[in-house]
Amino acid sequence: MTGHDERDTTTDADRIDDGDNAGDVHEPHPGVPTLGRDEQPSIFVPDDGEPEVADGGDERSAATDGGVKSATGGSDSAELDPTTYDPVDVFPGGDLDLRDGADSCYKCTSCDTSCPVAAVDDEFPGPKFQGPEQWRLKRKDDHDIDASITSCSNCMRCDDACPSSVPLSQMHNEARGQFVERQMEKLSREYVRNRILSNYRFFASIASKVPRLANFATNLPGAMWLAEKTLGVTGEREFPPFATQTFRSWWRERGGAQVENPDKRVAYFHGCYSNYNTPEVGKAMVRVFEHFGYEVLVPPQKCSGTPMFANGMLKDARRHAETNVEELVAAIGEGADIIASCTSCSMSLRQEYPELFDIHGIEDVSNHTFEALEYLRIYEDLEGALADSELDEERAFAYHAPCHARNQGLERQAVETFRDVDGVVIEDVGDSCSGISGTYGWKKEKYETSMKIGEEMFEHMEHAEGDVGMTECPTCAMQMEHGTGYEIEHPLQLLADALPIDA
Amino acid sequence: MSEQADVIVVGGGSTGCGVVRDLARRGLDTVLVEKGNLTHGTTGRMHGLLHSGGRYAVSDRKSARECIEENLVLRDIAGHCVEETGGMFVKRPEDSEEYFQEKLEGCRACDIPAEVIDGEEARRREPYLARDVEKAIVVPDGAVDPFRLCVANAADAREHGARIETHAEVTDVLIEDGEVVGVEVEHDTGPGKRVHREPGTTEEIRARYVVNATGAWAGQLGEMAGVDVEVRPSKGVMTVMNVRQVDTVINRCRPKGDADIVVPHETACILGTTDEEVEDPEDYPEEEWEVDLMIETLSELVPALKDARTLRSFWGVRPLYEPPGTGTDDPTDITRDYFLLDHDERDDLPGMTSIVGGKLTTYRMMAESISDHVCEKLEYEAECDTAEVPLPGSEDFSVLREYMEEFGIRSPVGRRSAQRLGSKTDDVLSSVSPNPVVCECEGVTRAEISHAIGEAGSDLNAVRLRTRASMGNCQGGFCTHRIAAELTQEYPEPVVRDAEDELYQERWKGQRHALWGRQLSQAMLNHLLHATTMNRDGDPAGLDAGVDFAAFDAGPDAADDPTGGDAGADSGTAAADGGRPFDEGGIDGDR
Repeated sequence: MTGHDERDTTTDADRIDDGDNAGDVHEPHPGVPTLGRDEQPSIFVPDDGEPEVADGGDERSAATDGGVKSATGGSDSAELDPTTYDPVDVFPGGDLDLRDGADSCYKCTSCDTSCPVAAVDDEFPGPKFQGPEQWRLKRKDDHDIDASITSCSNCMRCDDACPSSVPLSQMHNEARGQFVERQMEKLSREYVRNRILSNYRFFASIASKVPRLANFATNLPGAMWLAEKTLGVTGEREFPPFATQTFRSWWRERGGAQVENPDKRVAYFHGCYSNYNTPEVGKAMVRVFEHFGYEVLVPPQKCSGTPMFANGMLKDARRHAETNVEELVAAIGEGADIIASCTSCSMSLRQEYPELFDIHGIEDVSNHTFEALEYLRIYEDLEGALADSELDEERAFAYHAPCHARNQGLERQAVETFRDVDGVVIEDVGDSCSGISGTYGWKKEKYETSMKIGEEMFEHMEHAEGDVGMTECPTCAMQMEHGTGYEIEHPLQLLADALPIDA
Repeated sequence: MSEQADVIVVGGGSTGCGVVRDLARRGLDTVLVEKGNLTHGTTGRMHGLLHSGGRYAVSDRKSARECIEENLVLRDIAGHCVEETGGMFVKRPEDSEEYFQEKLEGCRACDIPAEVIDGEEARRREPYLARDVEKAIVVPDGAVDPFRLCVANAADAREHGARIETHAEVTDVLIEDGEVVGVEVEHDTGPGKRVHREPGTTEEIRARYVVNATGAWAGQLGEMAGVDVEVRPSKGVMTVMNVRQVDTVINRCRPKGDADIVVPHETACILGTTDEEVEDPEDYPEEEWEVDLMIETLSELVPALKDARTLRSFWGVRPLYEPPGTGTDDPTDITRDYFLLDHDERDDLPGMTSIVGGKLTTYRMMAESISDHVCEKLEYEAECDTAEVPLPGSEDFSVLREYMEEFGIRSPVGRRSAQRLGSKTDDVLSSVSPNPVVCECEGVTRAEISHAIGEAGSDLNAVRLRTRASMGNCQGGFCTHRIAAELTQEYPEPVVRDAEDELYQERWKGQRHALWGRQLSQAMLNHLLHATTMNRDGDPAGLDAGVDFAAFDAGPDAADDPTGGDAGADSGTAAADGGRPFDEGGIDGDR
């Protein structure tokens, strides 16, 4: 851990009191690189009240960087030591040069055989081409990333499949970012649609001010038809309802943390979905962690960036990352580890952040981030705590492990945690991908692919004993519900029910 | 069989190909004979540097001036063979400031555009440069693909009536009445395209004049004619990296030395080189220390090279020459200039001239000067136009942009294909449908492969050199058989099998010098894949002995039946080992 010690020590109350809008209370800290804040988007997506900073940054700067730019651009984190210097920032404008990642590829094709998109879409050339092959063929002046990169759903299964650590998803993310930045028409319907989808947080934050109206509007007959016709968002899906009270508002109302414990602190990264759509997951997280004696901090936060990476909106992702890293580094300074209840959020903080951005303290954030259940399994005696648990009635679940959980080695955690709990039947529905991959399955032209990928999971869910689904990922949950009509729970919700917690 | 031509050019390297093009364009009936592929000798074994002349700006200003002049010509006439990478002479703290200034002055004196940049700017342009590089001189170095260049020259010559014979080794120089009148060649498989398993033939080719353009082999040809040509072959190693760590040519700015250049070449970087005199241009030691030296010394300039993946190493032999009596001991001191040795004047043997020394960048100029010389001998008058007329493939190069959509291939594949094919891109890529990628590492499609087969016959190494197929990180592990499969339309199975073996063995040969780390893993994966999926570690068809079918058991059904023959009795020796009827030595021997 470096760099947090000189930070101001804002009290917890300050941290939790600023409500939904993180940006309007906290001034940006000096020393946070301004790169990535300077772009003028061709469609204006205001960033939660944060003023569009129009500083005199390099207009051509790309969103990602690999150590050179921010080392000289305000951050004090990177030492310019010639032996540790990692010059990935080779291509003009701050783009990453990932050609040397191709050195680790033996062409074995394990990545291609693990790719859920390639399995159902013959036109998709697969992760090996998108990653090491395309990068190796690239030269400094080339700016023609193949358009098929937009068909990658960013499930990141290829990372897991690769036996020799080719940085596949990093290559895909950077290639997609370069494609969107340089080759995509900024006024095209596809770009506008993708920008809106990836900035879900912005629209959700508005809708949450008037959740009933928003839910009414999205449920109006023809609303999704209109979305499909005008934006290319599939009309086949139903828009997820907004909670009548956001998690943060509940947290504020409740008076913040009920447990104070300087020795056991966690900072909850709830992400957007638990805040705006399923606050019951966030509430379960708080109850469970407080049960184990943790003091829960809820730092101001923005989107983890997952939908932005998947849509090549790296500048948006970077802007949000700057706030997140700054706030989370401060929380780490107060002795907290970072806990996410969404496996894509934890994936992003852990892996994509340090791979794509160089922001002061970003490695610390990565090293201190855990998924909620994972953390408890490491530090608490969950088995013991669950030994005497009694549920009111027997419950059976069809559990699906999200791809991003798989990449963090967490695909068995829910089953292992609950299989011996009295009154719980839990079945793993197999290792297929749900197919929705965040915003991917919401796109009109990807809907069919998404459902084809999901077919195996739907089938296995039908065969499972339980008729309630379970998963850690909010969009997998959407897909599970969409394909089977089941109600879907998060493992934390079951855990909160199973533990002897006074409601 | 005999034929009367005007000129025979011996040697299919850059010089020979340049001469045959020049003479053919001037209207002379010309034959080129080469014992291997085009570029088989030295030309195909260089680092691919298109000199700006900067390297010779201190030691040899005449060569430096020629280099910059020809550098500019080649950008014009051979656009599809040249990549305008630019180059730098970089200075480390321990390198002499005095020499840096001399280099700069030398460049300016030779009209080589040169600009000094500081270390920070150098690293902005090439971020993998070492942090302690102090400054650099920027010069217009480039990268050139020697094979594409030779093929284009030969193709143009053929269009102008020349005959090009590869795999035709000269076995004798014909001398009648004290005059050279032709050569005797041994065709590997008969005249024309090489086809495996065709019987070889011998041919006498007669001509009014013979040009010995065999470079490091000039002494051997001279011997057949009974004259002394004192070429001093000098070997140099080159190591190929898997990816481009730099996109400009990086030279170390110091007086002569080993391991002082990194050339970005196509998808790879080539590290060079050493300079050591050898006796025989075909038989010299290829030593590990030379490869180690490349990586160790050049990582002082580009530290990332130390941990980067190497693909292979190869050695080339320079055809250095110095006039008798110069007496230079160190090969690095021998001039890089070229010399015409008129054997009439020199040895009273009319009808033949040898050309020795020189370098690829100035090949066209050398070719022009020897063509002038030959025309004078033949009392033939014609103008040289090789400096103005673009080579086939380099015409109208700028029109090639929107090829990807049209041909339904992926962007980077289309871009690399167009770079290799130049103005032939349209014709070639639209010739085959469907057009899948055959070599994934280098992005080579089936259309390009079959076009090359059309030009080169069953010789897959010639296909490789034309297309770069099998030259990427798997070194043919995933594509040799696919490339060979393209031969099956036209050639019988045994020909295809030999062609495949030959290509695969050639790929293996160079990897032997890079077998550590990740390339070792690759070689192991290749081996196992080929063994387990194609039975290549013990293919009965590849062995002389027949298959002993009796060694196989009769299958599970037979075992149940007590009267079903001797399957039960033989079970101890049955097919648990995969049915190999031979001992280990018999399986793996001489493959």
